[in-house]
Amino acid sequence: MNSFYILMNKEYFQMIRDFKIIWLPIVFIFLGMTQPVLTYYLPTILGALGGGQGITIDPTMVQQEGGQVLATTLGSQFDQLGILIIVISMMGMIQADKASGMLAFILTRPVTVWSYIAGKVISNFLLVIVSVTSGYFVSYLYVNYLFTDVPISHMLSALLIYLIWVLFMISFTLMISTIFNGQGVIALIGIVFLIICRMITGIHPIIDLINPAGMSQHAMSLLFTGSVDSSIYVSLFITFLWVLFTLLVSHLWISQKKFQQD
Amino acid sequence: MKLEIRNVTKRFKDKMAVNQFSMELETGQCVGLIGPNGAGKSTLIKIIADILNADEGEVVLDGKRISKMKREIGYLPQFPNFFQWMTARENLLFMGQLSGISKKRLIEDIPTILTKVGLTGEQNRKVRTFSGGMKQRLGIAQALLHKPALIVMDEPVSALDPIGRREVLNLIQEIKKETTILLSTHILSDAEEICERFVIIKNGTKIEDTTMTELISRNHEPVVYVKITPKDHFWTQLVSQLPYVKKTEVIGSKVKITMDNIEVHKNLLIQHALNNDVDIVHFEVSGNDTLEEIFLNLVVSA
Repeated sequence: MNSFYILMNKEYFQMIRDFKIIWLPIVFIFLGMTQPVLTYYLPTILGALGGGQGITIDPTMVQQEGGQVLATTLGSQFDQLGILIIVISMMGMIQADKASGMLAFILTRPVTVWSYIAGKVISNFLLVIVSVTSGYFVSYLYVNYLFTDVPISHMLSALLIYLIWVLFMISFTLMISTIFNGQGVIALIGIVFLIICRMITGIHPIIDLINPAGMSQHAMSLLFTGSVDSSIYVSLFITFLWVLFTLLVSHLWISQKKFQQD
Repeated sequence: MKLEIRNVTKRFKDKMAVNQFSMELETGQCVGLIGPNGAGKSTLIKIIADILNADEGEVVLDGKRISKMKREIGYLPQFPNFFQWMTARENLLFMGQLSGISKKRLIEDIPTILTKVGLTGEQNRKVRTFSGGMKQRLGIAQALLHKPALIVMDEPVSALDPIGRREVLNLIQEIKKETTILLSTHILSDAEEICERFVIIKNGTKIEDTTMTELISRNHEPVVYVKITPKDHFWTQLVSQLPYVKKTEVIGSKVKITMDNIEVHKNLLIQHALNNDVDIVHFEVSGNDTLEEIFLNLVVSA
């Protein structure tokens, strides 16, 4: 029984006590459902609300491919509201321990800073994986039902690619949560930074290469076109470097005891 | 077990919190670290518990850096924090496992330790509902759980009401028989009750490292306390002019008189009082300054 395992267990224990383990997947399931259902019924809704006067809906416009709808689930649901929810639900990850003094207290025990950080990142990442995956699967089911079928292999590999971007979201939030002390500041910086990352994708290939949100772009294009760009490997590597960087900064911050206020 | 603090210095921006502090601590001792608020006690305790890094100097336990010896230290923070959403038992399990004790051992040990600190019936209550005294006792249980060689306590009783204070003091008396204790406090009577050895710290510097008996014998200076009625306070002025009186000090309705050769002069003093028709309510020759006075003298003058 090493301390990493104990700390991770404690995280799960807390998630169960907080019911986070239930509500986070439910939120993502709703997010996943929204996109295909809304896309499918939008013409009907517009028709009913607009009364049909002066609005003409081109029937060919709505004939979307299943892959496209699934991609927009990632692009417009998970990458917007999803980021918001992930950051807000993770912002207290380390900040809460700092504020209550538990971080200092835990570190008076023979516990390495790495096992503390790893316990946080891995437990929270697994929870988000479960949440995102369930939301994504629900979206996938609706897409297959309401639109055209998406090949399972595309669906799964797009999910895997997308989860790398999610990993960055978590490690970034962890870093911000380590450095700053106010929940508001953490939420603001986390959300704004991640959304900006997401917004600037597609502007320039070089930016995409070093932008972790490029992974989301790759996942989407896989669903759109059925193939991935070869730049994904470089992108993947750089994203992992970013994750490593955020973890190193957190480690440095905690081991230098910069979190101490007095 | 031997704890050595070697020339520890810690600065916070422009403020010097601990300045070139050194001391040694041997097995079985109980040392009280006393000093006024802001003297650097907590900072020093935090450096010993490896929560803060010292700017200079080091803390060594049995020849090894303290950061490598965390298993041998039990730490009780000033305001022990636990996960509020966990029960007392779960918190002990968590902290115990982090200290490297197997779950099986802990399940056996926790009831014993909870009995020791008097929390037997409360083990399945959430820490959120605990009073300050109960949290402090849980904190002590946590510090004892892994049977450390040294227990470091930061103001263990300062934040408690008289009842909680009594409970925790008795508990410390109890555990002192088995381990080495270093505790900080600004309440002298507490330190006096628990510890034999005192280290007095002021502005981050050690100004005294001594035992109770030594401290008192060194400051052994018999004085006379005379209690007089308020109308006779003029007499205090006269007394201070007497050749054998070194110092007079009015403490409430009492006058504390320090003089040379007390055996001879105390009767002269009474004579003088009677001559001046002073109404003496109480007359006492008292051996010692209280620890509190000694402390005040040390801290204020030094």
